[in-house]
Amino acid sequence: MHRIANERVIVQLALLIAAAALYASTYGQSFSASDLAQSPMFFPRIILMLWMGLNVISLAQAVTEGGGGGPIASWTRIGAVIVAALIYTNVIGSEGFFIPSVLFALISLPAFGIRNPILVVLFAVAVPGALVLLFNHSLGMPLPTSRFTYLF
Amino acid sequence: MLSSLPEAIGILLSLEGLLVLVLGTVLGIVLGAMPGIGSTVAVAIVLPFTLTMSQAPAILLLLAVYAGSVYGGSIAAILINTPGTPQSAATCLDGYPMAQRGEAGLALGWATVASVIGGLVSAVVLIFAAPQLAAFALEFGPIETFALILLGMTCIVSVSTGSVVKGLMAGMIGIFLSTVGGDPILGEMRFTFGNWQLFAGFNLLAVVIGVFALSEVFMRASAPLSRVSELVAFSGIVLPSRAMWKGRLRNLSKSVVIGNLIGVLPGTGAATAAFISYAEGRRSSPNGAGFGKGEPDGIVSSEAANNAVTGGALVPTMALGIPGDAITAVMLATLTLHGITPGPKLVDDNPTLIAAIFAGFFVINLLLLPLGMLLSRVAAPILRVREAFMMTAIVILCAVGIYFVRGNPFDLLVMGGAGVVGFLLRRQGFPMAPLVIGMVLGPTLELTLRQGLILTDGNFLAFFTGHPIALVLAIAALLALGLPVLRALLRRNAA
Repeated sequence: MHRIANERVIVQLALLIAAAALYASTYGQSFSASDLAQSPMFFPRIILMLWMGLNVISLAQAVTEGGGGGPIASWTRIGAVIVAALIYTNVIGSEGFFIPSVLFALISLPAFGIRNPILVVLFAVAVPGALVLLFNHSLGMPLPTSRFTYLF
Repeated sequence: MLSSLPEAIGILLSLEGLLVLVLGTVLGIVLGAMPGIGSTVAVAIVLPFTLTMSQAPAILLLLAVYAGSVYGGSIAAILINTPGTPQSAATCLDGYPMAQRGEAGLALGWATVASVIGGLVSAVVLIFAAPQLAAFALEFGPIETFALILLGMTCIVSVSTGSVVKGLMAGMIGIFLSTVGGDPILGEMRFTFGNWQLFAGFNLLAVVIGVFALSEVFMRASAPLSRVSELVAFSGIVLPSRAMWKGRLRNLSKSVVIGNLIGVLPGTGAATAAFISYAEGRRSSPNGAGFGKGEPDGIVSSEAANNAVTGGALVPTMALGIPGDAITAVMLATLTLHGITPGPKLVDDNPTLIAAIFAGFFVINLLLLPLGMLLSRVAAPILRVREAFMMTAIVILCAVGIYFVRGNPFDLLVMGGAGVVGFLLRRQGFPMAPLVIGMVLGPTLELTLRQGLILTDGNFLAFFTGHPIALVLAIAALLALGLPVLRALLRRNAA
C-alpha cells in the first residue's frame, strides 16, 4: 500500500497527469500556420512528450523505491505558513500591502516559534510600516494601498 | 570596450556609482552572513531598488550583493558553524575548528584574503574572456545557438544535485513554462486558457523567487525549529602575516584556477567549486593531513574557489546570454528589465555599460577587504537573529520585489504558486536550477530550433551534418548527459 500511495508517487502522478492534460490541450485548436515547424504547438509538444517520458521513468523509480519527502516536523506549522503565504500573495492586490503583511507576520512569527506577543506585534507592524514609509512616501514607488486609506 | 573605459570610470566615480558599490557590498556581506538567506534570495531582495536606477548602477548593485554575499557566507560558517550560503559549507570544516581554539579572527582573516584574491582574479578573467567568447559567438547562426543551448542545459542537468532524470524533468518543466503566452514567430496564444494575464507569459522573476526563496521558507517551516546558535569568542579580523603564507601560495593559486574554470561551466556553481577545490587542497597541500581540524589551507581552498566562481559564472552570462545558475538568471532578467538584450552582441552594443560592469566588479572585489574587516564585527551579532524573523521578512520583501517588477498583483499569485510547487518538488529531490535555466533559455531554444528547421527545409539531421560547430557542441552535450550514467555504472561495478 505504502509503496504505491506515498508522497513521492502522488507528486509524480500529479506531474504526469498535468503534462498529459496539457499535451491533450494542444490538439483541437486552429492556428494560422499548417506547416509543422511553423505550428505554435510544434515545440511545446516535443517538450511535453519529453516531460511525460521522463515522468514515466521517474514514476517507475518512485514505485520501486517507495518512501520520499522526509518527515514533516509539524503539519500545523507548514500548513499555517503555506496557507497564510498563499492568501497573502492573493490579497495584496485588492487589500493593499500593509494590512495583509501585518496579518501574515502575525501568523508566521508564532508559527515559527516566537511566543512573545509584544515582539510579534512590534515586528508585524514595524517591518511592513517601514517598507510603506520607504516606498510610498520616500522613493515615490507606491505599493498597493488598502480600500480604507491612500496612506497605506 | 577599452575606449569606453574613461566614461565607465566616470560612472563608477559618480556619487550614485560609489554609493551603489559600497552599499551593495555591505548589504551583500550582511545578507550573506545570515544563515538561510543565500545569494539568490539576497539578490532578489535588492532587485526592486534597482528599478529606479539607470542601467549600470542597477547591475553593479546586484553584482556587489552577489560578490558580497558569497564572502559573507564565510562569517557564519566560521563563527557559528552554519554556512550563511551553500557555497561556504566547505569553509565550516576548518573555519569552525580554528574558531573553537580561539583563532576566529585569524580564520576570518584567511577567508577574507582568499576571497579577495579569488574574486579579483575572476574579475580579470571576466574582463578578458567575456569579450573573446562573445566575439567568437557572433559567428553563430540559429543552428549553432540551438546546439550551444542544448549543451548548456545538459551541463546544468548533469551536475545538478539528485538524479539526472529529475534534473531533466525540471528543465522540461522550466522550458514548458516559457512557452506559455505568445508564440515567438506568429504571436498566437498558447496555454493561456482564456486568461489575459497569461498573454505575456509567466514572469520569470516571480517563478525564480517562488521556487528558491518562498519554497525555502516552506522547507524551513516543515523542518524542526532551529535554535539560536552560540557565537565563539571573536574580537575582529586578524589578517595572516606574510610569513604565514609560506608554502600556501600554490594551494591558493590552484583554488583560484579551479574556481574560475568551474565558474565558466554552466550550472556548476560556487558550492561545487568550493568542495572540489577543498578535496584537491586536501590531496595536494603539504598541510593536507590537517584538513578538517582547523587548517588554514582548508579555508583558503574553499573561499578562494567560491569567490573565483563569481567572475567565471558571469562569462557565459554576459558573453552568450546563457546563465550559469539561478543568480545569474536573475541578473539576466534584470538586464532585460532595463532594456538590455543579453547575448553575443551585448559587448558590442553597450561598450560603456560593459566596461563599467567589468571595472565595477573589480572594485567590488577590492572593497571586500576593508568592508569585510569593518563589517565582520557588526555582522556577528546579526547571526543570532531568530529564524522566524528572517523567514517572515523574506516573504514580505519578496512580495515587495515581485510587485515592483511589473506592478502586477498577478505576479504575486505566480510567486505563491511557484513557492508551493517548488516546495513539493524540492521535497522529492528535484533540483530547481534546471527549471529556472530552462525558463530563461526556453524561448531562444524554440526560436533557434524553428529557424533552423526553416533553413534546413525541416531536416533536423542537417543541423549537424552541415554545421561542424553545432556537431561538436551536440557531441559535447551527449557526453555531458552520458557522464553521470557512466559514473553510476562504474560505481555499481566497483561495489
